[in-house]
Amino acid sequence: MFKPRSGGQDRFLEMKAHDRMIDGKPRQKRLLEYLLLLLWVLMFPWSAVSHSAPVTDLRTLLPNQDLPAGWTRVDGPRVYSNKTLFEHVNGQAILYLSYGFRRSVFVVFQNVREPENQIEVDIYDMGEVLNAFGVFSRFRNDDRPGGVGLDSYLDDRSLLFYRGRYFVMIYATETNATAMKQMAATISAKIGDSFRPPREIDLFPKNGLKAGSIQYFPEGLLGHTFLGRGFQAGYVDKDETNLQVPGREPLLFLAVFKSPKAAKDALTTYKSYVAKKGKVFASTPEAFGSDAWEGEDPYHGQLMVVQRGHHLLGAAGFTGKRGESHLDAFIKNIR
Amino acid sequence: MFKSEMGRRNFIRRMSSAVLGVWTSGLWKARPSMAKTGDSPTLEYRTLGKTGLKVTTVGMGVMNCSDPAVVLRAFDLGINFFDTAPSYMGGRNEEMVGKVFKGKRDKVFIQTKLGTGDEKRTRDSVEKSLRRLQTDYVDVLLWHGLHSNDEVSDTRLHEFMEKMKKEGKARFTGFSAHSRMANLLREATKVRHHDVALVSYNFTHSRDLREAVTQAAAAGIGIVAMKTQAGGYKKEKMGNLSPHQAALKFVLRDTNVTLAVPGVTTIEQIEECAATMGTTLSLRDGDSLRQYHTFLQGRTCTLCGGCDGECPKSVPYGRFLRAVMYHDGYEDNRLAREVLGNTVALQTPAQCSECRSCLAVCRRGLDVQAQIRRAGQILGNESA
Repeated sequence: MFKPRSGGQDRFLEMKAHDRMIDGKPRQKRLLEYLLLLLWVLMFPWSAVSHSAPVTDLRTLLPNQDLPAGWTRVDGPRVYSNKTLFEHVNGQAILYLSYGFRRSVFVVFQNVREPENQIEVDIYDMGEVLNAFGVFSRFRNDDRPGGVGLDSYLDDRSLLFYRGRYFVMIYATETNATAMKQMAATISAKIGDSFRPPREIDLFPKNGLKAGSIQYFPEGLLGHTFLGRGFQAGYVDKDETNLQVPGREPLLFLAVFKSPKAAKDALTTYKSYVAKKGKVFASTPEAFGSDAWEGEDPYHGQLMVVQRGHHLLGAAGFTGKRGESHLDAFIKNIR
Repeated sequence: MFKSEMGRRNFIRRMSSAVLGVWTSGLWKARPSMAKTGDSPTLEYRTLGKTGLKVTTVGMGVMNCSDPAVVLRAFDLGINFFDTAPSYMGGRNEEMVGKVFKGKRDKVFIQTKLGTGDEKRTRDSVEKSLRRLQTDYVDVLLWHGLHSNDEVSDTRLHEFMEKMKKEGKARFTGFSAHSRMANLLREATKVRHHDVALVSYNFTHSRDLREAVTQAAAAGIGIVAMKTQAGGYKKEKMGNLSPHQAALKFVLRDTNVTLAVPGVTTIEQIEECAATMGTTLSLRDGDSLRQYHTFLQGRTCTLCGGCDGECPKSVPYGRFLRAVMYHDGYEDNRLAREVLGNTVALQTPAQCSECRSCLAVCRRGLDVQAQIRRAGQILGNESA
C-alpha cells in the first residue's frame, strides 16, 4: 500500500496526495489509513536518523544554569568545524575526521574558590552512534566505567563517555570526580536520546573477553589497509608472559565489507600477505569450511581467518587451540 | 583594460601555482627515484642538529596509530625515531609505545611532549609520560604546540627543560609548532634555548618557512617535519592518485630537515613511507605533487598572511578572510562582527569582490574574491 520510493520526502508527498484522494471512502478504512500514516510519520525520523538527524546546537548541551554549585564558566564555548578542529587538537584532528567528525564545542569551567581548579569539556558530534563509540573506544584506557552515557571511562582527572552521536571528554586539572560526574550527567541528560550501542559489540563471545577492550576502527583494522573497517576485542590470556606479540593481547576481530565478494577478496589478499611475510598452514579446522585459512603472522602471531557473508572473522595471538574455540563461538554469534 | 587586468591577475595566479615547479626545479638528480615498498628499505640517516643523534630520515608519527603491529613493523624496517605525546588518546598512545619497545629501548629514539603550565603540572605530565613509556628518560622532550615568540623565548620554560635534562628525564628538548612556524623558528634561532623543533613542513608551505628552517638548522636546531602529507587525503577522492611518497621526498630533499615523522596507521603506509629513504624526486613525483596541489587548492584559508599587502586600494582584505574564518569555521559571529566592524576600507566588500584591479592572490589558490563576497554577506546579515 505504501510502496517505498527513492526518498523520504517523496514518500511523504505521495502519502499526502493519497490522503487527499480518500474522501468518500468508508470511515473505518479512512481511520485505518490515518493510523498507518501516523505510524509511518512516527517511524520516519527513526529510520532517517543516522544521516539526517536535525543538527543540535552543541552549546545547548553544555552545563549552564545547571552547573554544580561553586563553578563558573571562564572560557568558551568555542565551536569547531572540520575545517578548524586542527586549531584545537592539532594533528589528532585526523583521528576525529576519520570517524566522521561533524563539529565540536569546547568550554572551560573554574571553581570559584580555587581558580587553579578547572574542568575542560569537549563535546564532539560524530554523526552517528557507531562513530561516537569508535572514537570513545580509542581513548578509553582500561575498564573503569563512570556510570554515564552508553559507556564511560573515569579516572582521577578525566571522564569520557558516549551517548547517541556524541562523544564527550571531560578533563580536570585537579582530582575532582564529583564535579566531573555531575557535569557529565547534565550533558548526558541533555543529549537524551535512546540509541543503543552498536550491535556488533554483542557479537563478541563473553567468555574470556577483556572488559572494555572492544574497539571500532573506521579503517586499517589490525594495522592493515586491506581489512578496512571493523571491530576488535582483547581476550584474557592465562599466561601474560606468553604473549605472542609484545604489547598485544590475543584478540578476535570482525572486519565489515560492503559485499560477500569484497569480504572474500580481502580473505585472499590477507592470505597472500601472510604467505609472503609469515606462514600459511596446509590445513584449517574442518568446522570452518573452505572459506578459511590458518597461519602465522609476524606481527599478530597465530592467526585464523574465516569469511562469513559480508564479514571476515578472525582470531589472532592465541596459543594452542584456544583461538579455534574462541573463533568457533564467535562464528555462532554471526547470523 | 579589463582584459589586461584579468590577464595580469591570472598571470600572478599561474605564477603562484607554479611555485611548486620553481621549488622542485633542479631536483631531478641522479639518485634513485624508485621507491618500492619492501622488506628492507635503503636506510638513510641524518644527524639531528646539535643533539648528535643519528636518526633515520623517515620516523614514525605514532599519534593516531593504535596497533602495536604497525610500530613493530616500523622498527623492523629500521626506523629508529618515534614521535608521540601524552595527549594522544589520553595517554594510551604512549602506553602502546612503551609496551612495544620494552627490551628495545636502547635501539630507538623516543620523542614526546608536554603542555605549558605551572611546574607541578608539567613535572607531573613528564613523570606520567615516563611511566607510560616504561622508561627513565625520553630522547627528545618538546613543549607541545607553542604559538608565540614570547613562549619560544620564555626563560621559565627553558629553565624547566634544563631541570629535566639535569634530572636525566630528557636528553634533549625543544618545541613543536603548527602555525607561525617561520617566526617561531627565527626566534628559536635567536634565543638558542632549543635543541629540536617539530614543525609542519610540506610542499604547500612558503619560501619564507624554508628559509627559516635553513637558519634554524644552521644554528644547530634539529628540524623534525610533521604534516608532511599536507593534511591527509583519500585516494578515492583524488582518482586513486597516491602522492604520499612524493610529498615525503619533497620534504626530505631539503637537507636542513633532519627527518620527517609522517602519521601512519597501517603497515602498508609505513612500508610506503620507509621506501622513500635513499630516493629522490622524479619528474613523475613532481607531476603527482602538482595534481595533489591542485586538489588541495582553494579548499580552505589557513590565515597564513601570505596574501597581505597586495591590494592597490589598500583594503585590508585579510580581515575579510579572518571574519569568514571566524564565522564559518568557528561559528563565532561576535568575533567575525568585531573584525569587520573595525575595518576602515576605501571600498565595501561588495565593491571589493567585483574590483577588477584586485591583485589579491592566495598561494594556495583560494578564491579571495569569493571569500570577500562571503564577508559581505556576513556583514549584511549582521547589520540586518
